[in-house]
Amino acid sequence: MSTATITYDDRTVRRFMTASIFWGIVGMLVGVLAATQLSWWQMNGKFLEAITFGLVKSEGLSYITFGRIRPLHTNAVIFAFVGNMVFAGVYYSTQRLCKVRLASDWLSKIHFWGWQLIIVGAAITLPAGLTRGKEYAELIWPLNIAVVVIWVIFGVNFFWTLAKRNEPSLYVSLWFYIATIVTIALLYVVNHLSIPTSLIHSYPIFGGVQDGLVQWWYGHNAVAFFLTTPILGIMYYFVPKAVDRPVYSYRLSIIHFWALVFIYIWAGPHHLLNTSLPRWLQTLGMLFSLMLWAPSWAGMLNGLLTLRGAWDKLRTDPIIKFFAVAVTFYGMSTFEGPLLSIRSVNALSHYTDWTIGHVHSGALGWNGFMAAGMFYWLAPRLWSTKLWSTAMANMHFWVGLVGILLYVSAMWVAGITQGLMLSETNPGGATLKYEFVETLQTIHIPYMLRSFGGGLYLLGFILCAVNIFMTARTGSATDATVEVKLLQKEKKDRMTLSEAFGSDPVIYAVLGIVFMILWFFLPPHADKAALIVAVILCIKGISVFRQSSKTWAEYFNRLLENYLPFTILIFGAAAIGGVVQIIPSLLVNRAVNVEDRLQLPYTPLELAGRDIYVAEGCYNCHSQMIRTLVPDVLRYGPAKDQGYSRLGESIYDHPYQWGSKRTGPDLAREGGALAAGAKSMRIGRRDNLWHFNHFLDPRQTSPGSNMPPYPWLFEAKADLKSLPKRIAVQSTLGVPWPAMTKDEIEQSARDQAVEISQALVKAGAYLPDRPDLEGENLRRYLSETQVVALIAYVQKIGTYQLVETPPAEVPPLNPDAYRKPVNR
Amino acid sequence: MFKRVIYEDWAKIVPIISFVFTFGVFAFATIRALCLPKNRCEQLADIPLKETEK
Repeated sequence: MSTATITYDDRTVRRFMTASIFWGIVGMLVGVLAATQLSWWQMNGKFLEAITFGLVKSEGLSYITFGRIRPLHTNAVIFAFVGNMVFAGVYYSTQRLCKVRLASDWLSKIHFWGWQLIIVGAAITLPAGLTRGKEYAELIWPLNIAVVVIWVIFGVNFFWTLAKRNEPSLYVSLWFYIATIVTIALLYVVNHLSIPTSLIHSYPIFGGVQDGLVQWWYGHNAVAFFLTTPILGIMYYFVPKAVDRPVYSYRLSIIHFWALVFIYIWAGPHHLLNTSLPRWLQTLGMLFSLMLWAPSWAGMLNGLLTLRGAWDKLRTDPIIKFFAVAVTFYGMSTFEGPLLSIRSVNALSHYTDWTIGHVHSGALGWNGFMAAGMFYWLAPRLWSTKLWSTAMANMHFWVGLVGILLYVSAMWVAGITQGLMLSETNPGGATLKYEFVETLQTIHIPYMLRSFGGGLYLLGFILCAVNIFMTARTGSATDATVEVKLLQKEKKDRMTLSEAFGSDPVIYAVLGIVFMILWFFLPPHADKAALIVAVILCIKGISVFRQSSKTWAEYFNRLLENYLPFTILIFGAAAIGGVVQIIPSLLVNRAVNVEDRLQLPYTPLELAGRDIYVAEGCYNCHSQMIRTLVPDVLRYGPAKDQGYSRLGESIYDHPYQWGSKRTGPDLAREGGALAAGAKSMRIGRRDNLWHFNHFLDPRQTSPGSNMPPYPWLFEAKADLKSLPKRIAVQSTLGVPWPAMTKDEIEQSARDQAVEISQALVKAGAYLPDRPDLEGENLRRYLSETQVVALIAYVQKIGTYQLVETPPAEVPPLNPDAYRKPVNR
Repeated sequence: MFKRVIYEDWAKIVPIISFVFTFGVFAFATIRALCLPKNRCEQLADIPLKETEK
């Protein structure tokens, strides 16, 4: 067998690692700023007056307001910090597991620089208020296309490297990387399907409940396949390397992998529990989340037990410390996640900081500490020297750990306290005890502790950056060279696709699934026939397996040496959950099938206002979903015959705005009926002047509120010129806009703006920055501003028309009522 | 069946289907893992440790 000397492409690894540390610090810094904004509203820009000694005068700066920088923080940490760390880990380990240099230096360069350009694009567009309005999917459509292109380049480079490998078998880390690449591609493309209205704006093709379902199918699985599976691959490679012993149980890693990849994708609907998402989907989301416990803990135990025999190093080796705590946090957060997915627990936790604490125990504890451990392990090898300071790495560990614990425990306390207070009723149980703002003020101290904990964690990573920088300075960049035995082409990837998918195990499994799906979809009687066939196939499959178990086992062994069929199987396992959940929803949950209530379409000005609401990121703090829970209904839907939010009430919303966190109250029923004598002006729960003053200075109308002021809404003009194009796109998506010419659209918007601004001036609206404006001048000025469009939208939220449906059979109030009392 | 799952008896059916389906996948993966010969397991687990960099 011939051998060759190979030099690995470690330059790309060094680049990604450096970028990860840099963007990590940026992302965490933005996170700390956002955290302080929740404690002190002045951190939204007013503080600039103090630090510039009055040079900058502003009540708030749009570019750093919470609604805009919270997406910047999440995107920076997920895609810039963890993303770059994942690419560094994948490229380093894949070369060594395949015993081959990365397939293309050019593709590696394009991948690196393209990804950094996308991050810079995000850092510019998100603070500018250019967003799609969907969590972790905020980037505008040109950047979405760039992400897809760069991801494909990454995939090509990775699979090409697999094809050129000199190791016949695919180690389990590579399985996790394959799952990451194919599943993220699927999730990203589906959730970012949009129709552009301009170069910087688009509407998602899904609306209302469908958009919510697709969003959380993506959002949850971004956690699964971007923040978990690649890190698990990294764990299975770097932890054995760090302790110099093989993984505890390779068999367990197989079960871990397949069960995780199959189950994770189903769990998305647990983000929409107790909402108007159909109950069967909520139940699926909850059950699969609970079943995730098993594979997640299999992985955690496998990771921790790999450290067996090396526990003594915990005292001396910071790398082992980081890995041990990271895997422990993986176990803790994957215990907490299923717990929060139980519908009754979720009733307390959802929309509160408990969820934020959960997310950060995963991001800071699992992702962040795995990253740190990997960086400290890699740096001496990539720069061919010793780590500059072990003591500083130890300091990083302790500062970071205390930071995480403070952060997470503060969020637990804040979330549970607020959740309990929001559902507390007065004696008698018919009225609520606390105002929303009272619950917010109660958690002020945990909020400050959160900022402090986050600050400590950031400090830890600054220490890491200094340590890695000094390590690089004391050493010299080195690309490792190895001598490998060249693998002949005929000894790998020999399985043809027809061989792979025409074999008994696949045929029986696929036919079984097809007939199970037919059982779902076929009409009565035919469905039973499909079920019988599925059962027969199962029995037949078992009998064939018993007769030729060796052939079946051999089939799977061969799969491990054939990446293409293996990848297709992984794609199938990951995709099936999405198909079963999303397709029925796309077919059924549409406006034509809505019963009970149907959303009233917006007017042009209301749509302009809604686009401002989305651009300002109001959804980061305000939900638009009254859950099917008594405290929610008492607080947000108490008016006659209103109750909880129905599925049809937001069916035309592109994007949906149900939200995931309530730092402020729910707005689902903020709107109301047309004002007396008005042509298009509505008055909801509060009048126009209340909203006007609230946007100007939230504490004027809601003492104790932490909402930032929005002075720029009173200066910037509403964008009415783009409305015709936006309305045309919405019509294409099925929103029932009446036929209007461009002029009619603009005129309608102007008429409504005039009506609202007239009412505002009449009610005594006053602009402190423009004391020269009053009467007709003020009315004319206001009618062009963004704030009037936003008020128009807020006054429309949650308005609906009743849909006539045949009277339903009223079920008995008590299902056990048939049990008549027996007189003895 | 689809109508029953979507509108009517979801509470009775969905948990059972979910469990059976997932149990099947678990069983499948477990059998597959157990069928892997011990020496093959060890060989695969050793892949990351077999590097000899110059």
